[in-house]
Amino acid sequence: MTAPRTVVGDTVVRGQAAAERVRSAVAAVRDPEIRVLTIEELGILRDVSAEDDGRVVVTITPTFLGCPAMDVIRADVAAAARDAGCAEVEIVTVLSPPWTTDWLSDAARAKLAAAGIAPPVRRDDPGGRTLPLLMPALRAPRCPRCGSAATAEIARAGSTACKALWRCDACRQPFDHVKDH
Amino acid sequence: MTAPMTTTGPDLRDYVLRLGDDALVAAQRVAGWCTRAPQFEEDVALANIALDLLGQARALLTYAGELEGLGRDEDALAFGRDEHEFRNVQLVELPDDDFATAIAKMLFFGVYQRLLYTGLSRAADPTLAGIAAKAAKETAYHVDHAVSWTLRLGDGTAESHRRMQAAVDHVWPYTHELFEPGPPPAAAGPGADPAALRGPWCREVEQVLAEATLRRPEDGWAPTGGRSGVHTEAFGHLLAEMQYVYRAHPGARW
Amino acid sequence: MELLDGVPPLGTEELLAEVDAAERELAAGEGPPAGTAPAGDEEGAARFEALIAADGKIEPRDWMPDGYRRSLIRQIAQHAHSEIMGMQPETNWISRAPSLARKAILIAKVQDEAGHGLYLYSVAESLGVSREWMLDELHAGRQKYLSFINYPTLTWADVGALAWLTDGAAVVNQVSLCRTSYGPYARALVRICKEESFHHRQGFDLLYALSRGTPEQRAMLQAAVDRWWYPALAMFGPPDHMSTHSAQSLAWRIKRATNDELRQRFVDICVPQARVLGVTLPDPALRWNAERGHHDFTPPDFEELKRVVAGNGPCNRQRLAHRRRAHEDGAWVREAAAAYAAKHGESREAAEPAPAGEAARAPERTDWPLWEVFVRPRRGLAHSHAGGLHAPDAAMALRNARDLYTRRGEGVSIWVLPAAGITASSPDEKDAFFDPAGDKVYRHPSFFELPEGVEHL
Repeated sequence: MTAPRTVVGDTVVRGQAAAERVRSAVAAVRDPEIRVLTIEELGILRDVSAEDDGRVVVTITPTFLGCPAMDVIRADVAAAARDAGCAEVEIVTVLSPPWTTDWLSDAARAKLAAAGIAPPVRRDDPGGRTLPLLMPALRAPRCPRCGSAATAEIARAGSTACKALWRCDACRQPFDHVKDH
Repeated sequence: MTAPMTTTGPDLRDYVLRLGDDALVAAQRVAGWCTRAPQFEEDVALANIALDLLGQARALLTYAGELEGLGRDEDALAFGRDEHEFRNVQLVELPDDDFATAIAKMLFFGVYQRLLYTGLSRAADPTLAGIAAKAAKETAYHVDHAVSWTLRLGDGTAESHRRMQAAVDHVWPYTHELFEPGPPPAAAGPGADPAALRGPWCREVEQVLAEATLRRPEDGWAPTGGRSGVHTEAFGHLLAEMQYVYRAHPGARW
Repeated sequence: MELLDGVPPLGTEELLAEVDAAERELAAGEGPPAGTAPAGDEEGAARFEALIAADGKIEPRDWMPDGYRRSLIRQIAQHAHSEIMGMQPETNWISRAPSLARKAILIAKVQDEAGHGLYLYSVAESLGVSREWMLDELHAGRQKYLSFINYPTLTWADVGALAWLTDGAAVVNQVSLCRTSYGPYARALVRICKEESFHHRQGFDLLYALSRGTPEQRAMLQAAVDRWWYPALAMFGPPDHMSTHSAQSLAWRIKRATNDELRQRFVDICVPQARVLGVTLPDPALRWNAERGHHDFTPPDFEELKRVVAGNGPCNRQRLAHRRRAHEDGAWVREAAAAYAAKHGESREAAEPAPAGEAARAPERTDWPLWEVFVRPRRGLAHSHAGGLHAPDAAMALRNARDLYTRRGEGVSIWVLPAAGITASSPDEKDAFFDPAGDKVYRHPSFFELPEGVEHL
């Protein structure tokens, strides 16, 4: 898939300095569906680079192929770049390597938990129960509210494609869990 | 992401169009379950699967349009073509008469898609490989979902067993078309030969059917034609509904 | 397509900021879940009053007055039903969406609503009722859902108008509820508001594309706005002078702003947005009132609202029939899942959920009878009503009641009674729509302008 190209703005800054400015502006764009995280923390933002012809190229990758938030993210990235005074920004969408929840940083995981969303379970988490699922490597998350491991899945698919709905049997709080992917 | 033009040609465009049409038509059928599923969890899960399939379709149709070089985007291809120009297999266009039929289709098509995409993720063409690698991960969830329900319906109540067996019997003949011989374009790589997928597909599906206490139907009647634009009567209705707003406003942007 | 490119800000940042503030408040005030054993009425009541007075949050295992529990159950169930029923007018256009990007957005929005419905049902379940029971109440017409859902979506533009106007109204309403006193509900609302603001924005963008389109598209847009303006205004419920607000309602901090205040806020937000879209809001009396600092506008026809709520809107029967049909058509599937779970020893009690998580829980979701639970928290105290639950038999009801209503078993005595065996005094017969009894008004936060049916707890 060739990326939709977005060219915006009036000529203000160019080159490496522009790339740096755009990078910090774009890195702060929030994911429209998981608003506690920026697209950088989620691993959606892959690269910001300055081309020889003066363009700045922002490279992003979708969490899921059909993720409808991508169009919004493109618009927000374009707007952020424009606000950062960038002359020409090209937004490129890449699919390879495919996005994985392994790209979530520890800081991002902590932010998710603080927002009441259980982050994906790390494969090396000794506390995570392995579920008797047909799919390998699916692990039960801990309750983001009280930390209990006594949790049960309510629905494999949640309100957004990347989340599942779980419930804590200890404090009875329903919670979202970002699926391992 | 740009594909090296040396490896592309009309045959790769046709091949990508097939994949895109399969995903698009499957998405349209699965999305039809919204608000009609047996429980709310299933409404959410099926919407999720429809969204995944639609995402695959958009990526593939966009790429097919680029390979074609006639300026057609995903929407022009999805909404602007007539029935005989669609290259999807007939399996995905079959109406979902009941939930068992939907699950049988999802199982057969999902296992095929996962095997195919896994093979295509090593394709020489980097764009196709990228789409396939992403789609393979998502399709694994669809197969998991279909297998879970096949087991429950097959090995649930007498009524559900009867319905699930009927659905398997009904859909089975249409699975042959998935594996019709015809080597894929060189750019798609050796892992994408449909004929070579039939063996692993049968082994996986047969295992699931056996565990679900369902009988594997005999091979016999093998309806075909989708890849050359010959479809079932139901397909015209699907397209009429899907395309009418777009076609009623030529040139409009949405 | 270049989605949302060039769309001006929606002016809803203020609302999102309020949601963020409510979230910070929740995080700041939140300790670990209360670890105390269920308190008796007296000390429980004191603790409850103290928590409410301190603007604290009530959690599922806390003691709470029976009326508070019931009012929450009804309110959250109605909210959940509205999410689920609200999928129908939008799903009407999924198969016909004119671009693949719009189709994806619409599917995602409907998925989002189903997800919110699920989430809200599980919040209500934390209060001791089952989803089966809530669905029975919905299917029987005893629990309601928002009235705008009973209007038809006649063109593609209606999908956008729905998202812009009714989702916009819902966000205004829900933002005001984010600081509600029941912890799980407050957390659910924060999360829902954030996700819905995303869809609200996409709905506006859909209309914005039409506003820059062909004459036919612009006409379609105007007609849809004409259709949805008043149903959206009616979502805020009857006007303040026709609605009572008891001291109890405010004291329990379930409702934070009056219907008319919220309606005014919504109108003030919409007017500049309508200007951006180049549409005329269908109200000749709509104008800026410099003195008040607000727009003057014509209120919705509350007689019409009353008719729709009573079941006589354009689509009431169709929507409910569709829901019932889906439920009935799916019965054999749910039964199969339950039978499979029974055969394979997967039960709710198992430590680990089975592949299709819900399927593993299906046995408790079939039509099991409702049991009323009475708990004696300590020796010397009388048994008091704790809530209800569904169970196949008395032994299971006891086990479930222990899990649900007591934290640890020592010294606790539980009674379970089949709800069918209880004869209750007849419910309040007053016209609950415009004149709810003072002690019940807290059950009607502005978001749900609907009268209650028969009491079933």
